[in-house]
Amino acid sequence: MELRPPIVIASGVGGMGEYLKLIDPRYIGAYTLKTITFKPRLGNPPPRLIATERYLINSIGLENVGVEKFIEELENGLYEELFRKVKVIFSFAGEDFEEYLKVAERMVPHQDRFVAFECNFSCPNVDFNPLSDTSQLKKMLIELRKKLDVFLIAKLGIEGAFIEQLAELVEECGWNGVTIINTIRALHIDGETLIKGGISGPILKPIALRAVYEVRNRTNLYIIASGGIMDETDAQHFFEVGANAVSIGTALYRDPTIVERIAKRFL
Amino acid sequence: MENFSLSRCELIRLNRDTFIVTFNEKIDFEPTQFIMIETETSIVRKPFGLGRWNDRLAIGVQVIGPGTAYIVRQEKLNAHGPCGKGFVPPKGRGAMIATLACLPMAFDLQERYDCDVFIGSVDEPWIEVPFPIVVGDEAFLKMLQSLNGYDWFLVIGSDQMEKIVYDALKDKAEVFVSFNEYMACGIGACRGCAKVTKHGLKHLCIDGPVLRGEEVWS
Ligand SMILES: Cc1cc2nc3c(=O)[nH]c(=O)nc-3n(C[C@H](O)[C@H](O)[C@H](O)COP(=O)(O)OP(=O)(O)OC[C@H]3O[C@@H](n4cnc5c(N)ncnc54)[C@H](O)[C@@H]3O)c2cc1C
Ligand SMILES: Cc1cc2nc3c(=O)[nH]c(=O)nc-3n(C[C@H](O)[C@H](O)[C@H](O)COP(=O)(O)O)c2cc1C
Ligand code: FES
Repeated sequence: MELRPPIVIASGVGGMGEYLKLIDPRYIGAYTLKTITFKPRLGNPPPRLIATERYLINSIGLENVGVEKFIEELENGLYEELFRKVKVIFSFAGEDFEEYLKVAERMVPHQDRFVAFECNFSCPNVDFNPLSDTSQLKKMLIELRKKLDVFLIAKLGIEGAFIEQLAELVEECGWNGVTIINTIRALHIDGETLIKGGISGPILKPIALRAVYEVRNRTNLYIIASGGIMDETDAQHFFEVGANAVSIGTALYRDPTIVERIAKRFL
Repeated sequence: MENFSLSRCELIRLNRDTFIVTFNEKIDFEPTQFIMIETETSIVRKPFGLGRWNDRLAIGVQVIGPGTAYIVRQEKLNAHGPCGKGFVPPKGRGAMIATLACLPMAFDLQERYDCDVFIGSVDEPWIEVPFPIVVGDEAFLKMLQSLNGYDWFLVIGSDQMEKIVYDALKDKAEVFVSFNEYMACGIGACRGCAKVTKHGLKHLCIDGPVLRGEEVWS
């Protein structure tokens, strides 16, 4: 996969293309859609967000319309403008191993529209953690590889197992890339309200940087770095430790124009 | 929807903690639409309702934490918008019930729709306000009781104040409420501002911020 500029809009943060209203598409290498699951999901009850100057905690819980409705929208042309303007990455997940396969199966006829499929194995806001059962995970990685004829990316987190070992498994199963890392489980107390969710933003950078460094030293996978990339210097650091592309997530909420500034530096 | 920077024209202090900031720039917007303003104190931009004051684009800001304190200190601000759906009142005679920080929004709404405006405040304002204003909880409740003959109400304030107004007025006319769910993107991308309603999940930054009160509370 060749991304020019090597900048990806992070899954979930950029929704279903809404940031094209605020970012010039010339500066977007690829736009990852919000994770789609087999069944529609309403997501978690509010409050779903809390932010400080160092982090954001979100408890969205993969709210999405489900794969059937997504395909209907796709066929009805809802995303035509997005496809015309940028390369698009499809992100998907399931509530168990079976559901990952079912989403992939349904998407086979549409796979050519996407520059890659990103399999989200690491959402901290749902009950199922596929990374904690490596033998089942391996079976699924092989099955998904057989089903899909696309550039396949595994989105890995640091919870469940050592990320470099997971990445080796991903490579062994014939996948093409990894997105490293996702948000990490965290808790914020605001008066009497507890917000349980995934933490993102600058606070993640050292953790994500180490993860990218370890995975680069152990694999030849295409690496999309994700976690706390807020400016050009952060992006530079991730490229130095071996990332092929950087993913911009929470930084969009502080300033959407950051994508253009980072892109101009690395075009 | 655009990214833009705003330069401050005037800072008007309304009382101890509430200000009107007017800007030199012009933006087209509809009543109750808002902008997302960048602060140094938070990783997410923060929503502020758009309005007018002294013939200029304006926002009202109640300082309640580090972000609002930052906004009233700055000469220049980065923002994007306008976000949200503009409020279009139903036919008939209407009134807006708001807090002091909503003065610019109220001023704009009154000019466009010729509705009445009633302001409730904890303190006396330090400047003359062009609307009836009541100070203190008791006077506020009394004022609500006296509001009759309206076809619709729009209420904008804190969560607590909005619920009190809704309960007091819901049997008199249709009550519209500008809800305050936490926002990160303001454009429908993050799904953070979800509100459970009678008609399913709504995202306040694109389906709102104004919803019918009975959609949420009945
Ligand atoms: C649609 C909308 C329009 C608004 N318009 C105005 C306005 O015109 N004038 C005004 O004074 N205030 C307005 N607010 C509220 C304003 O956004 C918050 O008061 C402000 O973000 C507080 O930031 P802080 O850093 O000072 O306080 P903090 O200490 O960070 O937070 C205090 C409280 O403010 C609220 N808040 C903080 N950040 C956000 C956020 N990103 N999104 C939503 N709520 C938040 C939460 O209830 C929080 O508990 C509006 C809110 C919404 C949702
Ligand atoms: C509001 C929000 C929603 C997210 N939703 C998803 C999602 O649906 N799928 C996914 O793989 N990652 C999701 N993420 C994680 C991001 O894609 C990204 O990996 C993470 O936020 C770390 O990067 P950042 O620090 O640049 O935000 C979400 C993050 C946020 C803040
Ligand atoms: S604030 Fe992001 S969807 Fe409404």
